Amino acid sequence: MAQYDFKKITVVPTGNDLIDIVLSRTQRQTPTVIHKGNAISRVRQFYMRKVKFTETNFTDKLSKTIEDFPRVEDIHPFYGDLLHVLYNKDHYKLALGQLNTARNLIKRIREDYVKLLKYGDSLYRCKSLKRAALGRMCTVTKRIGPSLAYLEHVRQHMARLPSINTGAPTILICGCPNVGKSSFLNKITRADVEVQPYAFTTKSLFVGHTDYKYLRYQVIDTPGLLDRPLEDRNIIEMCSVTALVNLHAAILFFLDLSGSCGYSISQQAALFHSIKMMFRNNPVLIVCNKTDLQTLEGLSGEDLKLVMEMKSAALKTIPGQGGEAANDQDVLLTMSTITDEGVMAVKNAACQRLLDQRSERKMKSKKMPTVLNRFHVAMPKPRDQKERPVCIPQAVLEARAEEAAHEERKTEKDIENENGGAGVYSASLRKHYILADDDWKLDILPEFLDGHNVYDFIDPDILQRVEELEREETAVEEDGGDFEMEDEDFTAEAEKDLQEIRKRKKLLIQKHRIKKSTAESRPTVPRKFDKDRKFTTERMGRQLSSLGIDPSRAIERARSRSVSRKGRKRERSVGGDGEDEMEIDGGLDNKKKMRLRSRSMSRSRSVLSQRSLGEVVPGEGFKDSAQKMKAVTMARNATKKRNKDARRGEADRVIPTLRPKHLFSGKRSIGKTDRR
Amino acid sequence: MRLEFCWFCSSKIYPGHGIQFVRNDAKIFRFCRSKCHKNFKMKRNPRKVKWTKAYRRLHGKDMTKDSTFELERKRNRPERYDRNVMENTLKAIKKIDKIRHDRAADHIAQRWKPKAAKERREARKELEQSISLIKAPLAIQAQEPAITVPKIKVKVPKQQTLEQPMEE
Repeated sequence: MAQYDFKKITVVPTGNDLIDIVLSRTQRQTPTVIHKGNAISRVRQFYMRKVKFTETNFTDKLSKTIEDFPRVEDIHPFYGDLLHVLYNKDHYKLALGQLNTARNLIKRIREDYVKLLKYGDSLYRCKSLKRAALGRMCTVTKRIGPSLAYLEHVRQHMARLPSINTGAPTILICGCPNVGKSSFLNKITRADVEVQPYAFTTKSLFVGHTDYKYLRYQVIDTPGLLDRPLEDRNIIEMCSVTALVNLHAAILFFLDLSGSCGYSISQQAALFHSIKMMFRNNPVLIVCNKTDLQTLEGLSGEDLKLVMEMKSAALKTIPGQGGEAANDQDVLLTMSTITDEGVMAVKNAACQRLLDQRSERKMKSKKMPTVLNRFHVAMPKPRDQKERPVCIPQAVLEARAEEAAHEERKTEKDIENENGGAGVYSASLRKHYILADDDWKLDILPEFLDGHNVYDFIDPDILQRVEELEREETAVEEDGGDFEMEDEDFTAEAEKDLQEIRKRKKLLIQKHRIKKSTAESRPTVPRKFDKDRKFTTERMGRQLSSLGIDPSRAIERARSRSVSRKGRKRERSVGGDGEDEMEIDGGLDNKKKMRLRSRSMSRSRSVLSQRSLGEVVPGEGFKDSAQKMKAVTMARNATKKRNKDARRGEADRVIPTLRPKHLFSGKRSIGKTDRR
Repeated sequence: MRLEFCWFCSSKIYPGHGIQFVRNDAKIFRFCRSKCHKNFKMKRNPRKVKWTKAYRRLHGKDMTKDSTFELERKRNRPERYDRNVMENTLKAIKKIDKIRHDRAADHIAQRWKPKAAKERREARKELEQSISLIKAPLAIQAQEPAITVPKIKVKVPKQQTLEQPMEE
């Protein structure tokens, strides 16, 4: 028996499609260029190749189709009958036969035309022959068009047939329409069959799978059966009949006790009796569904009698135990798919029946004795009549008793569940600590103190050591910490002097720094051209007195030797003031002295105020008046410009606002703002 | 949880701070902040980086040897909890801490002491040398006649020196 996989049948093309496919292949895959100038043998070869190629393609495709489609005789009778029911065996065979004929015809055509082509004498003749050949092949294909279409239709339907494994243990559900077969299937398997209140909701077979005692069982749901003679049955009913007849399965006949399916119990009983021929050796279970609406006990006497009749018929199918009341329960079952009561029991009963049947069969088979012969259970012969019961040592018994007692102990898990479960209650791990004093169990243990790890300091005799430490400390203190300084501190006067010295030194350094920095840019004017009148006797006197010396004598001396004095001396000698000359060294009287001094001072002062702009002053360094005027104008011009910019001097480069907003923001009306 | 010490600067690393680096030889380096971490990555030696404790201890700036350090030791064996011991320990920590701080401060004060003496000496010298900036020697002489430099008179015979060159 060849293995057929209905889902793997190749697509059957329509007639025109087949023609198109083959011809385009020929055109693509054979050489296309030939000239009449070529050698005749080459021309013949060219066209023969085309004819052969076309024929090969047609044949291949048709053969594939013919082989893919199952032969009704070769497959399992269930499928055979199903195919017949659905597609009409004859029609099916005819179609396939037509394909076969077509194939042979095409082969014949090719043979004929190849023979003719062998003697073609011109390109034109060869070409015509080839055209004729191809044309005839295509005509043949066109003629089988309807068959191809039919086969395609069949193929599509076949691919969607439920994959029923005919060898696996199966449970078949049958009964009147609307009794609850599909709901039962939905309950015990993962199938999701449509359940609706109208009859013939299920229009074909549906398969589900369920497990029982580590075995996979197929559960097949059938469309409802009506009580009609076989000839009158429609295709849908025929499907279920096929399944009933051909499959070896446990049959669950569904009864609707309440009559809500639309058929009374008598009608259902009639149906049962009419199909019971088909049960043959299959185990039968009568399942009363919809007990939530109507229980078995609540049935009327008539109906109950009918049900009992059915039960007795079903009992006959039990292998080897016909009619025993002991297995009563296995044959007649009640359940309700809505309330789920008894559903599992039904399934288990059905599966068990199948298993039992299987094991029975195995026992009955010829192989069994050979297998049984291989077993031999050896039983030791009793030596004497002494009773030797089981011996369990006392300790083990005690331990067992203790364990049993222990099981009543409350575990941590129980406590957790009591107090709200895993997320709510967290077990206290401290409960079972072994400590010297049980009060300490709930103590909070500090880990850090003042930036130290407490655990680094723990020591049973830490207090003792700390005491030692403290004793050390006090001992050190009593020793008298520091020695006194050998040097004495400074007196207040000395301190003051020191500060003065330091201040003076700082001033000197500052002045020196200023002088150093400006020495390159300014000419150093000798002291005798002292324009600012810094070097006065008064100043000298002040400085000397700050040093602690009496300045009067020094001032006198300085003044007597001053230039202005000397200058006056000369003038007076020209004028002929001889008397004064004589008395210079010692005794000028005070009046004269004062006059001299006052005049000399006032002269220099008035000079300052009376000097005109262009007048050359000896200490300044100008050649003549013109040069000085030029310098003055230059200075004026420079300052004018600076004043306009509000700059304090040459070195003033301050910018009051580095990034004024009006220059650094805003868009331009034309142009870019890359640079600002 | 433990307070660890930064490998670079030896400061305390509190929980939630810093980075731990484990080298392929399983040595663990803990850093208190990215400054130390980055210095480590630059392969700087903490003993040469001035602001670290390692430098300070090496160069004697901070106290190194003291009995208070021995009281704080990492113990690897867990002790059974005893409330009294814990209490005593907590009190002791405070005292030990105080003592250690005082001793460290003393150490630093000891370091600074010679400076005062030196400063005094220098000030004295400055006073002596630069007194002339504020007080003229004459004034000082006038004030304290005791402090006068005694004049040394040297007699030089005149005739002898003249005769000798003439003879030659």
